[in-house]
Amino acid sequence: MATKVVERKPLNLAERSYLPQIVGGLKITFRNMWKPPVTLEYPEQRPNIPDRYRGVPTLVKDPNGREKCVACQLCEFVCPPRAIRIDPGEIPEDSEHAHVEKAPREFKIDMLRCIYCGLCEEVCPEEAIFLQDTFSVNGLSRAELVFNKKKLYQLGGTLPDSHYKWDKKRDAAEKGGDEH
Amino acid sequence: MATITIDGQSYEADPSANLLQAALTLGFDLPYFCWHPALGSVGACRQCAVRQYRDEEDTTGQIVMACMVPVADGLRCSIVEPEAAEFRAEVIEWLMSNHPHDCPVCDEGGECHLQDMTVMTGHCKRRFRFPKRTFRNQYLGPFINHEMNRCIQCYRCVRFYGDYAGGSDLVAMAAHNHVYFGRHEEGILENEFSGNLVEICPTGVFTDKTLKHHYSRKWDMVSSPSVCSHCAVGCNTIASTRYGSVRRILNRYHHDINGYFLCDRGRFGYTFTDAADRLRRPLLHPDRERDVETVAEPAEAMKRIREIFSEATGVAGIGSPRASLESNYALRNLVGSGRFSSGLPRIEHDATTALLEAMRNAPDGPGSLRDAERADAVLILGEDPNNTAPRLALALRQSVRNEPIRADAGSRIPRWHDRAIRDFVQDRKGPLFIAWPASTRLDDLAAGTHRAAPDEIARLGFAVAHAIDPQSPAVTDLDDSASDLASRIARALKEADRPMVVSGTALRSPAIIAAAAATVHALRRTGSGGSSFLAVAPEANTIGDAMLEGAPLETLEQQLESGEVDTLVILENDIYRRLPAPATDRIISKARRIIALDSIATATTNRADVVLPAGSFAESDGTFVNHEGRAQRFFQPLPPAGDVLEAWRWIGRIAAETGTSKQNEWDRLDRVLTALARDCPELAPARDAAPDAAFRANGQRFPRAPRRFSGRTSILSHLSVHEPKPPEDSDSPLSFTMEGHSGQPPAALVSHYWSPGWNSSQALNKFQSEVAGPARGGDPGARLIPGNGPNERPSTAIPAPVPDDDQTLLAVPCYEVFGSDELSARAPAVAERIPKPYVALAPTDAEHHGLDSGDSLNLLIGELRVSAPVRLDPKLPPGLCGIPAGMPGWSVPHLPARASVVT
Repeated sequence: MATKVVERKPLNLAERSYLPQIVGGLKITFRNMWKPPVTLEYPEQRPNIPDRYRGVPTLVKDPNGREKCVACQLCEFVCPPRAIRIDPGEIPEDSEHAHVEKAPREFKIDMLRCIYCGLCEEVCPEEAIFLQDTFSVNGLSRAELVFNKKKLYQLGGTLPDSHYKWDKKRDAAEKGGDEH
Repeated sequence: MATITIDGQSYEADPSANLLQAALTLGFDLPYFCWHPALGSVGACRQCAVRQYRDEEDTTGQIVMACMVPVADGLRCSIVEPEAAEFRAEVIEWLMSNHPHDCPVCDEGGECHLQDMTVMTGHCKRRFRFPKRTFRNQYLGPFINHEMNRCIQCYRCVRFYGDYAGGSDLVAMAAHNHVYFGRHEEGILENEFSGNLVEICPTGVFTDKTLKHHYSRKWDMVSSPSVCSHCAVGCNTIASTRYGSVRRILNRYHHDINGYFLCDRGRFGYTFTDAADRLRRPLLHPDRERDVETVAEPAEAMKRIREIFSEATGVAGIGSPRASLESNYALRNLVGSGRFSSGLPRIEHDATTALLEAMRNAPDGPGSLRDAERADAVLILGEDPNNTAPRLALALRQSVRNEPIRADAGSRIPRWHDRAIRDFVQDRKGPLFIAWPASTRLDDLAAGTHRAAPDEIARLGFAVAHAIDPQSPAVTDLDDSASDLASRIARALKEADRPMVVSGTALRSPAIIAAAAATVHALRRTGSGGSSFLAVAPEANTIGDAMLEGAPLETLEQQLESGEVDTLVILENDIYRRLPAPATDRIISKARRIIALDSIATATTNRADVVLPAGSFAESDGTFVNHEGRAQRFFQPLPPAGDVLEAWRWIGRIAAETGTSKQNEWDRLDRVLTALARDCPELAPARDAAPDAAFRANGQRFPRAPRRFSGRTSILSHLSVHEPKPPEDSDSPLSFTMEGHSGQPPAALVSHYWSPGWNSSQALNKFQSEVAGPARGGDPGARLIPGNGPNERPSTAIPAPVPDDDQTLLAVPCYEVFGSDELSARAPAVAERIPKPYVALAPTDAEHHGLDSGDSLNLLIGELRVSAPVRLDPKLPPGLCGIPAGMPGWSVPHLPARASVVT
């Protein structure tokens, strides 16, 4: 290999004293000292999460407390890393939500696999799964990070609903639906 | 063949088909709803619209329904013509004005014909903005779920249920926008073919309720080609699984057997594979008399078996008509053919042997269900097909239309033109004669019935043979009504183009079978070329078991008594169902040691020293020989989990362990089949029932999982982050994953019906050589019994008339579609449909004994005491009583027998 010898220039007096550099550095320090801080004292302080943030996928209930997921399994189908597993179940006849027919018996998301792509939220025909603002997921074992239905509803909580489509279906059936 | 022009291209098409059928056969995607290949056309749904042109000059043409246009030479039409395409899209839009958008909760979602057709027509925006009409749903029993809002009024359900299957309790009600398909009131759908509504309905009105309890989407189910294990017809099925359990059974098309339909026993009986009494671990019973069992490791069980074998003076094997051919053969090979029993008592063994003899002796070999469907005169001798071979009853129901259609004008109506044919036929029925002791559900079709004791039924059969051909021996002392009937039957059979005699082992009478055979040969001698003999057997592999020529159970009892044998290996057989309990107890107590293999816990396995868990149809590969002697391979949809192994593999391990064969000699299905072919030349074609394990297409296996499989979820990754290695399959060319050949496999290996744009089971059209024709590349299975030509072998002597006996009743077995089959009776949904135990009695006999319907009747049959409520059957002749065979927990084996009433 060819080598090139670079000539090293001698330092001048100002450089040798380091003083201009120290002064320059202190200028920046003092300028920032009086500005408001840009960092957060995490975890005591929490950041503001924007509305469209894609955090942990969660299951949500409607304001009447009905679980919105109907176990159609489309999110399971679309999930690129195959992190979701749904066991569809039936809703008991005597339940007030019996007209919805189905709900998940179990719903699991492997958070070690989830890539936060949001396809599950996008594909959901029932607006039941949302990537909300939780961004910190940790646990002491792998098993702990397979979120089950209970955990997912705990994280998801209740979101407003602009449709109430199943209630509309029930009302329609009660009002006009006595064809037979 | 006719030349037709579709969109400017010329094609050859079958002139006996309609344009829709021809277009589908040619590979066009033309949407349809009301047409069904088995039900024909009615032109009701207006979905298959195309533009038809008069000739080459005609550029205007007219919109016609393809399903109502017969294929003719020079036919010109266009499918892509914009107005026709718009017409089809608008029909969908109109159907969608009432169809709920509830695909997410609909069980049909992902395999819905309506979804497919909607996408196919391109409809995507509904303009209708008003409330949809809604209905109240009905409870229709444990099999079918009802969701009427989804209905698109194609009428297929009532056309199948009423017109095709003869059910009367599902009808169309109301009119206009309010048409409702259901029962007059909530209740169980009575017809035993109601399960087909699941596949007939193009959308989610009728769905599989058993699937709903453990639902999975079609794209997530791992399936394999299977054969129904609940009767001897051997309907081809697709068994679908998810996460280690069977989720549902679908029909797998076989041109000669089940066609498009299954019976409810076959479709819903599968949940026995998941029942609580499934055996999954080896069990040891240290003391057979006491109910103590310990779960053992396989090695421990094998060690115990080695000890048992080393102590034994002689080992005998009891085979089973519900175990696969391979398992039975492996057992015969383990114990030697001299000590192998077919697992049947003498009374059933003799009847089965006679049936096999009659099948071998039949001129063209035993007939198939398709032969039955095409027959134009049928004599049923001593069988009750609705209960013993249900799918056959459905075929026979179609046969009664053949003779009226053949007459004059009917022959000019195309067969696909369903409405015209039904209008023409009206209520006329072709000749169908039934000889059976009690009433049957085919009685409404019968031109004549003969209700009598088994021997009298045989005498009728021989009388028919004599009336056809005087060369056959005459029957003496036949009463007038029977001899009149015999001559009517003989005339009808002689006049027919395709006469058929159906007979079997239901009444355990070799004489009846001989009479049926004599009739077929008499027909053949007198010139009817198309005559056929259709054999009915009780269990999935009765014929295969009989072809291995084991001895009856009684012979085994003698061997035990003489001390020649002291150890038994019992293969998938509950002897308590075969022999009366005291006789079974004698056999069990005489055997010093018993090794039992079974998939389910039975009274027999409870008394074995060692129990090995055998795979059910869902965990096994094997072959069943069906009622027509057709060997059919079934493949496991599930890799055996835990300690479960195929019975033949267990027996192979026992053989290796005890030194009767070399290690690994029996560890592959193909090796067992090769040995079988070497030892039993008659069974050698069974090897060709399906491609062997080395078969590949382009070097690839055939996937069990569909291409859209989403299923390898990572949910076990907390145990290991590595994707578990997919199970390997050394016995078949199928893989357990979605990887593999993406084209169509040979018909014997079809695991699911799917084709681009066709997600429902209607994709089947793409798997046939022509619509409703044989499967592409030929239908699966290998026929083992070729037939004997016109040479009749001498038959059994004609039985004497049954003497009058005031003191006793003749107890004959009768059958229940839900209950008489051992395995399906353990499925919860089927169990709901099993009737309570009963004894059927003629009203005169009941009166004689001072009994009324529902009163308890005590009978003494041999050494067995039977007690059950009386059920009056006005059709039953006096002197007979009917006892349901094989009912769970209430099995009365060894009939027919004399029974005395105990007060």
